[in-house]
Amino acid sequence: MDTGTILYLLSLATMTGLYAILTLGLNLQWGFAGMFNAGIAGFFAIGAYATSILTTPPAEDRFGGFDLPIPLGLAAGVLLSAVLGYAIARICLRLKSDYLAIATIGIAEILRLTLRNEAWMTGGNRGIAGIPRPFEDMEQPWGELCFLLLVAGIVVVLYVAIERAWHSPWGRVMRAIRENEEAAEAAGKDVVAFRAHVFSLGAAVMGLAGGLMAHYLKFIGPDATEPILTTFLAWVMLIAGGSGNNRGAVLGAGVIWVIWSGTELLTQRLPPDWQTRSSYIRVFLIGLLLQIVLQRFSHGLLPEKPPRPPESDSG
Amino acid sequence: MPDWSTVLDFVGLYLIPGLVTGSIYALGAIGVSLLFGILRFAHFAHGDLMTLGAYLALSVVTGFGWPALAAVPLAAAGAAIIAVGLDRAFYRPFRQRPTIISVIASFGVMLMIRSAVQLIWGVQSLEYKSGIERPLLFFDQLRIQERHIWIVGVTGLLVLALHLLLTRSRIGRAMRAVSDEPDLARVTGISTERVIQVTWLIGGALAATSGIFIGIDSHIDSYMGWNLLLPVFAAAILGGIGQPIGAAAGGLALGLIEELSTYPWIGDNPLVSPDYKTGLAFAIMVALLIWRPTGLLRGRQF
Amino acid sequence: MFRSFGKLFFILAAAAVFAMPAARADDQVKIGLLFDVTGPVANFVPPMLDAAKLVVDQVNAQGGILGGKQLATVVADTQGAPQTAVDAANKLVNAEHVPIVVGPLLSGTVLASAQSVIIPAGVVQISPSATTPALTTLKDHDWVFRVVPSDAYQGPVLAKLLIDKGLKRVALTYANNDYAVGIAGTFRAAYKKLGGVLSADLQHDEKKTTFRTELATLAKNKPEALVLIAFAGASGVTIVKEALEGGFFTQFVGTDSLRDKVLIEQVGEQNLKGIFFTSPSSPPGTPSMDAFEKAYSAAFQTTKDKLFIQQVYDATFLAALAIQKAGSLDRKKIRAALRQISGPGGEIVGPGDWKKAVDLIAAGRKIDYQGASGDCNFDKSGDVAGVIGHFVIENGSFKQVGIVTP
Repeated sequence: MDTGTILYLLSLATMTGLYAILTLGLNLQWGFAGMFNAGIAGFFAIGAYATSILTTPPAEDRFGGFDLPIPLGLAAGVLLSAVLGYAIARICLRLKSDYLAIATIGIAEILRLTLRNEAWMTGGNRGIAGIPRPFEDMEQPWGELCFLLLVAGIVVVLYVAIERAWHSPWGRVMRAIRENEEAAEAAGKDVVAFRAHVFSLGAAVMGLAGGLMAHYLKFIGPDATEPILTTFLAWVMLIAGGSGNNRGAVLGAGVIWVIWSGTELLTQRLPPDWQTRSSYIRVFLIGLLLQIVLQRFSHGLLPEKPPRPPESDSG
Repeated sequence: MPDWSTVLDFVGLYLIPGLVTGSIYALGAIGVSLLFGILRFAHFAHGDLMTLGAYLALSVVTGFGWPALAAVPLAAAGAAIIAVGLDRAFYRPFRQRPTIISVIASFGVMLMIRSAVQLIWGVQSLEYKSGIERPLLFFDQLRIQERHIWIVGVTGLLVLALHLLLTRSRIGRAMRAVSDEPDLARVTGISTERVIQVTWLIGGALAATSGIFIGIDSHIDSYMGWNLLLPVFAAAILGGIGQPIGAAAGGLALGLIEELSTYPWIGDNPLVSPDYKTGLAFAIMVALLIWRPTGLLRGRQF
Repeated sequence: MFRSFGKLFFILAAAAVFAMPAARADDQVKIGLLFDVTGPVANFVPPMLDAAKLVVDQVNAQGGILGGKQLATVVADTQGAPQTAVDAANKLVNAEHVPIVVGPLLSGTVLASAQSVIIPAGVVQISPSATTPALTTLKDHDWVFRVVPSDAYQGPVLAKLLIDKGLKRVALTYANNDYAVGIAGTFRAAYKKLGGVLSADLQHDEKKTTFRTELATLAKNKPEALVLIAFAGASGVTIVKEALEGGFFTQFVGTDSLRDKVLIEQVGEQNLKGIFFTSPSSPPGTPSMDAFEKAYSAAFQTTKDKLFIQQVYDATFLAALAIQKAGSLDRKKIRAALRQISGPGGEIVGPGDWKKAVDLIAAGRKIDYQGASGDCNFDKSGDVAGVIGHFVIENGSFKQVGIVTP
């Protein structure tokens, strides 16, 4: 196997890892707390832009250029996302499932629009280039391998931490709230506070994913925060993998990203006359494969073992 | 005495465009609201249904040489049937599952419709009729495009027709029953599947009409519906989920707010910068969800 | 359950692995086209892919490349966003092992793919249309090139043209994408410096379907013209139409993004009197532009007035020439060869002159490719200098009537 193929596989794995982090954050909000967040793009964007503004060297006509070290940038993104997540949760917590979804979409879109328009701060449509990447001075493929190990390590740490939390006393309270909110409330638990904490944690993880992605791509712009590639993709990964399930989140990230990226390798094999249309065929194929995965594995690739999450349609 | 010139300017340049945009939103929002009320999921492929309708009409226009408005019934019927087919293939398998799965499925359907449109009709920007249309002139100063009168007028008629259907017909009453009291409806022997089919027929037809109006007013391209999806959702929420007539009112209100917000109410500059027009729709939607979740007209409480 | 999931995953993974070329076909030379096929500029891509195909057809009809091999292209779709652009670039550069890359089209996807994949892997990337100034200063070890001038050129030129034509008080509106915002920025500064007055200055959302209220604001205080920096197929045509219908403006000025056939088709030439454009170009009367336009129209029975097709053609032709000159698929050699064949200095070859160029290279002579979009002489940053043409509409298509110098 030559370097090129290794690099491609490394990049596949790295993207999978980054999306796994994003999906794990989503599962915190959905699997733990039953909250339907459709504004993932917003938290992703905050994490990405915060670290980009802080870790890049000065650029003319743009605020920022503090040239701070990467961990600081990532931490800032995580913190900002957490704060925003908490605020949204406290305000919107009365809203159930699909309605919270639409509120979060609205907030995310306003945020994205602001990031696009306020060029003095974010570079606007031009975006921010030259974002540093850990290990970038190392030779290929070692630099890419180290970055992948970093991402994989973060995935493992998150996974273990979340699983631990689920089985801790705090986790038991969350499970109780998820199963029977009124009973939990009657038992004296501050449901709203618990939910807000979980939502905020999930948002923080999403901010981390966004920040790491910005460092990986070495560039961030409004198109990177497109809902299709963030919100939509994370949800598909979570549901296809096994809703409410951490292992499913990671597996879903892998399978769906391989479908997303790999289908192009198939459509590239089409005869040259089809080249102009192969990209549209590929998108069609993605949509179709998604239906197949959903219908064939309608409980997710790795379904959650009981107890199951409550049905989301109420009221 | 009001300065008539300013008033006419206001009407022609802000009010009427607001009504036109509002009509387009309204027709899309009704479908979303109906589907949400009866099927209980947010149909993310709705925007692309609008796109599909516009392209079907394009084929009718280029095929038969009819004007775009005349193509509406045929294209709407086509879209309606396709909508029922999509439901059969992609949403019906998940009737008994949590609605989140149907939402995810609708994401996939959205991709499929859009890429199918791109494969069949291509990606370039198209239109029903080329050239400029001089507006009609009223009172020496008020310019109104003829096509705007049609758009607003037909929308009004469709909303009225829907209202009559929902209140006066059997199927309409069945639809309201399934939407408001699903368990009771089932017990009283209403065929839920039948109601669902009719809902898709209506939703698909109205979405197609909305798409055609977009095409008539500006142009046709494969992302046209998707670009309007979120404002359409906002309009449905504004009107109260599960309240189709409310959704129509919500759409109209949203269109008006969007266009009127750029009027120089105070001083010389637009009140809201035009590049934040889209953000306004979302801000209103979010504010409503937080402070008045039943919508402007009493809809289902969340 | 696990078995069936396992089966599915195995099938997908196997398909992906087998789809990757285990042994590269030795009788084909592949140029990678890293294009934004889906996404914000989807409208404009098909004619560009045709332009690239024209190069492939011409090369193969005139004897092939590297000793009679077939030239081919392989397309990877960036989907218009940085993360998918990096993935697509990886596929082309690392999985398909292409020797050279043409594209992407958007400034954002260029920056992402360049920094993440192209520069680390060491492969030449020629963008046909990214206008961001950031590319000039990018530390790219000379791997990144472009055949379109940075928008630092077009803005001041547009300003000068307006002043020269006596339009000292205009309204400006530009779309909310990186191309338009960039040119608007340099235009604004230059115009004011030359004493021009912007009576209105509005960014608009190109995804909207109607702009009447924007036009009402723009037309206030009766400016002499509307400067419109937007893609014709997105918001450009709609704004022109609504401006004409509403009586807001009759004099329009555009850049290359508006200089698209769809404007003439949808608005009608008779309604566009007096409109003029700036656009990167070659000096009038250069055989290159005509040669390309003839060949393109003949091959695809369609108009030549589409966005950036000259640039895509030139980038692809340059890529092929560089491979031929390098004599191999070695990426470093190709980088050196690219500078050698792009000029200045040497015998001139133009669009379609493949056999002529091959013969000259074989004879050891220096060549200078002069393209349909300009002279394609790269400076030390991999940029090209701007020759900006002044265009009007005549007989249903765009005609260049001069060159504007800042």
